[in-house]
Amino acid sequence: MAVRILLADDHPLTRSGIAEFVRREESFELVAEAEDGIEAWEKIRELRPDVALLDIRMPGEDGVKVAQRVKNEGMNTAIVMLTSYDAQQYVIASLRAGARGFVLKTVSPKELTTAITTVAKGGLYLDPEVASVMGEQDFIPEQLSVREREVLLLAAKGLSSKEVAKKLFISERTVQTHLASIYDKLGSRNKTEALLLALKYGVVTLEELLEEE
Amino acid sequence: MFSQLRKKFAGSGSHFLAFLLCALILPSAAVVLVAVAGMLNQEAAMEAAVSSYVQDLAESLSYHLSSDSDVWTFSMLSDFTRFPFFSWGPSIPGWVALIGQDGRVIISSPGSIGVISSIWHNNLPVGQAIRVEDKEGAQYTLAVYPVKRPSGGYVVAAVSWTQLLGGLVGVVRIWPVLIVVMAGLSFFAIRLLWRRVVTPLRSLVSKIDRMTIGRDVPEKLPEGTIQEIESVHNALQRYAQAAVERDNLRNRYVRDVVQAQEQERMDMAREIHDGALQDVTALLQQIHMIEDDENKTSRLKRTEIIAKTVVRELRAFCDELAPPWMDLGINEAITELAERLSQAYDIVIMADCDEEANEAGIENDKILSLLRIIQEAVSNAVRHGQADEVNIQLTSEDGALMLEIEDNGNGFDSSHINHETLRVEGHRGLASMTERMSLMGGTLKIASKPGEGTKITASLKV
Repeated sequence: MAVRILLADDHPLTRSGIAEFVRREESFELVAEAEDGIEAWEKIRELRPDVALLDIRMPGEDGVKVAQRVKNEGMNTAIVMLTSYDAQQYVIASLRAGARGFVLKTVSPKELTTAITTVAKGGLYLDPEVASVMGEQDFIPEQLSVREREVLLLAAKGLSSKEVAKKLFISERTVQTHLASIYDKLGSRNKTEALLLALKYGVVTLEELLEEE
Repeated sequence: MFSQLRKKFAGSGSHFLAFLLCALILPSAAVVLVAVAGMLNQEAAMEAAVSSYVQDLAESLSYHLSSDSDVWTFSMLSDFTRFPFFSWGPSIPGWVALIGQDGRVIISSPGSIGVISSIWHNNLPVGQAIRVEDKEGAQYTLAVYPVKRPSGGYVVAAVSWTQLLGGLVGVVRIWPVLIVVMAGLSFFAIRLLWRRVVTPLRSLVSKIDRMTIGRDVPEKLPEGTIQEIESVHNALQRYAQAAVERDNLRNRYVRDVVQAQEQERMDMAREIHDGALQDVTALLQQIHMIEDDENKTSRLKRTEIIAKTVVRELRAFCDELAPPWMDLGINEAITELAERLSQAYDIVIMADCDEEANEAGIENDKILSLLRIIQEAVSNAVRHGQADEVNIQLTSEDGALMLEIEDNGNGFDSSHINHETLRVEGHRGLASMTERMSLMGGTLKIASKPGEGTKITASLKV
């Protein structure tokens, strides 16, 4: 059965380009197009597509907010962010809003197909051009301790060392020591990379990240 | 009422001077008039009292001395001593005497002999007080009463005005002189006040009126100006000097800003021209060549590579102008910037932001200012301080944000740092950051010591 897809982008040229590609692909079915966030949300609710390709910057409501609504409603629609912003923080923000995919608009049709197919199956797809660590060579990371996993998850939710320390009743210094150890074990240089790598290696799952405290 | 008067007199100099003179002289003249009137009044009252006194004295004595016998017996004379005024004189300055029909003094109070002989003559009116003058000009009020005896005789009682009012009379003569001296002194004092205080004050006021704040500084005062005016003048001079310096500083700052703006525009134009524009032109050439090309696939591949380069270039360019990821919130913006700078400079940059800070709802222009501060600080840490580690911390407390940027570089002596030294030493970036922070109601502090790295703290109320 074909993957039912909704496409939302306010830029007509980009939208028609991507729409044409999706229509051409046999395993995909383009069920609707939207040119702003509000229209996108209405059509998602009405048509319940399997995958929604959302631009981030749109009039009315941005793509991240629409993804948040889909997540809050507990719908099965998998969200793929389709954007020209190459900032890793957009990836993190999208993941926190419940998106499962993040691709740049410069993506090749082949990569877009992979992205859509992956998220439709419940997987996670992040464009290696922006989430650069995702594309790097695989290596087996060292096991994180229970405490380290806790620290990583809280930090991934956007808490500072001070705030993590307060939550776990440990000192700020200890939190920093844990973070340094996490970076070391995952081979990351910072918090964002650590989170992306942890997701990539399955050290933490997207569901854990989305859990409300 | 008083302010009206003051307004009226402040208008013209001479009027004010006349006002001052009147204010000083009129009261003293009034005092003199009242004193003279009082004295005249007093003198009239005294005259009445003295007249009735001498009349009573002479009348009662003459009554007591009247007798049918015509001989002045010794026993009678000794009887006179019953009247104390013959031994001591009357109770107020003057004298009494018993004078025979022939003008011979039969008995008198002490010290009166000479006076009697100089005043006495038979034509003096009897039974009423009169005022007479002796040869030396001393004045007396005296009363003559006849003694009823066959041989006749008179009782004379007198009060000496000179003795009674001598001091007072003297003062009355001195008064006018005193008044003239006082008036002269007042006039002199007012003239002095006028020349040394009022005139310099007026010239100061007109100087201030003519001054253009921020351009003119008043010249030095002439020698001999009084101290108070000199200090007012010095304060004015300091104020004017500060205004001039402030204006100069502002002008330089505006010039810097304009220069930086123009420089930025030139840089942007060059960047677009040499970068994206060239690439798009190349892209167009590739597209033109596709038609005639044998190997279309490899041509297309090349076109794609060029197009991707343009996108990357334009993205980087936008990020530099105003990063779109600012919209995500201050924490994400700082984290993103830190990671990008870390990659660009190949150093360790740790960013640690309170989640609470995102909830503070800080405006985008403030976020951008904080991002610029981080860019400038990291760039300085690497270029000037050779730092290889920077820690960025954003804390949120009671609606205030604090951004701390600490590096492990060489550091420098920050004790002499202020806006001007920053500018002079070429840290225009930091200088304008400081200005920008203060415009937003925040502060920027730079603390550093040689060998101890640098810490920049920006505080901002949200």
